[in-house]
Amino acid sequence: MRLCIISLIISLVTAHADIVSTKSWHKQAPQGIEDLVAIQERLRSLLPQTKAALVSIEAIDGAGSGVIVSEDGLVLTAAHVIGTTGKKMFVRLPDGKRAPAVSLGGSEISDAGMLQITKKKKWPFVQMAASNSAEVGDWCFGLGHPGGFDKKRGIVVRIGKVIANKDETMQTDSRLLGGDSGGPLFDFEGRLIAIHSRVSQLPDQNFHVPIDCFHANWDFFKNQDLITYEKMQAGGFLGVECEYKETGLVVRGVIPDSAAEQAGVQINDILVSINNEQIDSREEFIILISSMTPSALAKIKLVRNGAELSIKVNLGSRPDPK
Amino acid sequence: MKSFVSYFLVLVLSFSLALGDSNSSTDKLPKEFRLNGTATQDAFGSSKNKALHSTVRLTRNDKLIAMGAIISPEGHILTKASSCVGAREATLSGGEKFKLRVKKRNEALDLALYQMISDRNDFKPVNWNDSNASKDVSWILSAYTELREIRIGITSGKHREIGREGGVMGVMLGTESKLGIHITEVIPHAAADKAGVQIGDVIQKIDGRSVKKRDQVVSIVGKKDPGDVVMMQAMRNENEKNFRITLGHRSVTFDLFNRNMQMSGPVSKRKDNFPLILQHDLPLPKEAMGGPVFDLNGDCIGINIARVDRVTCYTLPSKIVFPVVKDFLSL
Repeated sequence: MRLCIISLIISLVTAHADIVSTKSWHKQAPQGIEDLVAIQERLRSLLPQTKAALVSIEAIDGAGSGVIVSEDGLVLTAAHVIGTTGKKMFVRLPDGKRAPAVSLGGSEISDAGMLQITKKKKWPFVQMAASNSAEVGDWCFGLGHPGGFDKKRGIVVRIGKVIANKDETMQTDSRLLGGDSGGPLFDFEGRLIAIHSRVSQLPDQNFHVPIDCFHANWDFFKNQDLITYEKMQAGGFLGVECEYKETGLVVRGVIPDSAAEQAGVQINDILVSINNEQIDSREEFIILISSMTPSALAKIKLVRNGAELSIKVNLGSRPDPK
Repeated sequence: MKSFVSYFLVLVLSFSLALGDSNSSTDKLPKEFRLNGTATQDAFGSSKNKALHSTVRLTRNDKLIAMGAIISPEGHILTKASSCVGAREATLSGGEKFKLRVKKRNEALDLALYQMISDRNDFKPVNWNDSNASKDVSWILSAYTELREIRIGITSGKHREIGREGGVMGVMLGTESKLGIHITEVIPHAAADKAGVQIGDVIQKIDGRSVKKRDQVVSIVGKKDPGDVVMMQAMRNENEKNFRITLGHRSVTFDLFNRNMQMSGPVSKRKDNFPLILQHDLPLPKEAMGGPVFDLNGDCIGINIARVDRVTCYTLPSKIVFPVVKDFLSL
């Protein structure tokens, strides 16, 4: 009898766990009005704390959006919003108040950018998602100031789903417009998963910088380093096409007559580190290589067929884009 | 720099081609599970069906001009007045087509009343409701242009008045001299260009009043609305010229210079001067304006009154629309 009761309790607990684990926003598609209402209520509940950390960024030559991610006022935004490092700008909080800020670093590859509010204050901030936490099919929502700050209109919220997420680009159907650039994209836990970057003409073509790009290059960006296409052109060049996967940075192609080919890099090699610096993303790899001169000697650790190899490569120059 | 960007794209392209046969990493969310995919649309159940049954396509020679809301069993249709000019037929979601009779217009709210010519009295009118339209961030839906699918989105942004923009000639005013005001730019296809105004013309009189300063021109023209006519007297190579200019919409005239507008596609000509609007992000073309917007219960919360840009539509809420409907139908 007692056994019976216990088993009943256990089955009740598991039944309960089942209900909890299938939240409406975790289903592949909402199954009806109840799911839709749950998604709507969840979104509403996440807005107060996420909206509080949204900023409009005002520079002499344009305006964008950004989001505060630390109590001391570090702001994530898009590289094309900050333009250059060390630039004085203003951020505007949802209540319209302005605070001075200075641009830090970023990358034109992913369009990730950082700036620091220079006024000392305890700023409202949002939580960042860990790398690899956003998945295709997840519900998400974007905040921003499309077309610029507009107090009469207020902050605009747009809901959507993650359509694709690969290397330096996340695509969603949470729609964007100029002025949104640099604004935040959140998951349904209220965590920052990406920063708004650019659009093409179709409604589903909205592109964002995954938070992973910030995590992988955090110190580089914070130290006011900005990787531009110009810098990349002048820097070193290995000559591989790669893709970042759970196993690491996989070589998908080796460009003929490149430094990589001469050093014997092969397709399906996994690049582990450069000069003992661990590689955490494709972008970090490009930044590390481009930060060296074309004549530099790079020590590259890689895994081939499960065995670790260490090779030394004389980098070359990036081919002329023309 | 620009050429490098395209190079970068080429690199990315060759790289994804190389990935052609590995599947997991190139996965894109199938269309049906996206925000406006069929699986998401189906979750809206009966509200989806109500939207499809109470919305009509307004066409001329089968070309979609605007959408409309059925507002009576006798087939009265409410739509956006400035969008539906020239509409001749209405088509229902089932495919039945009816000729249209123009009944009434309300210029202030940009609404028009039509009636489908028929003996039927079993058309399915919308059910008006504004009780939950006031809450920010609510699911809404509208029928899409072919009346087979819906489009889904949320309300967002404060409910507010949209001010008047005034009409524009589409010229840039340059230096002021004894002769008058010199025109330094004429926007192609805009009002002044259509009337024959050219760069270098010197404005002397507007509507018979002599003008010496740019502000005077702006003040006279700004008081008029798009569609109003101004008379301009100007000097061209010592000849006096007179132009009859039908003013254009500010937003459309200057869109050519706005990068956001290039990314947005065509927008409504009139998107200003409304006493109250709800803002939402339904991905609808400008030809879908005039159609009704529904909440999760399938009740009508307003009429789509303007496509503003890629991420913004305005809806005239039922609170504003319903008194007009009562007035229209009491005839």
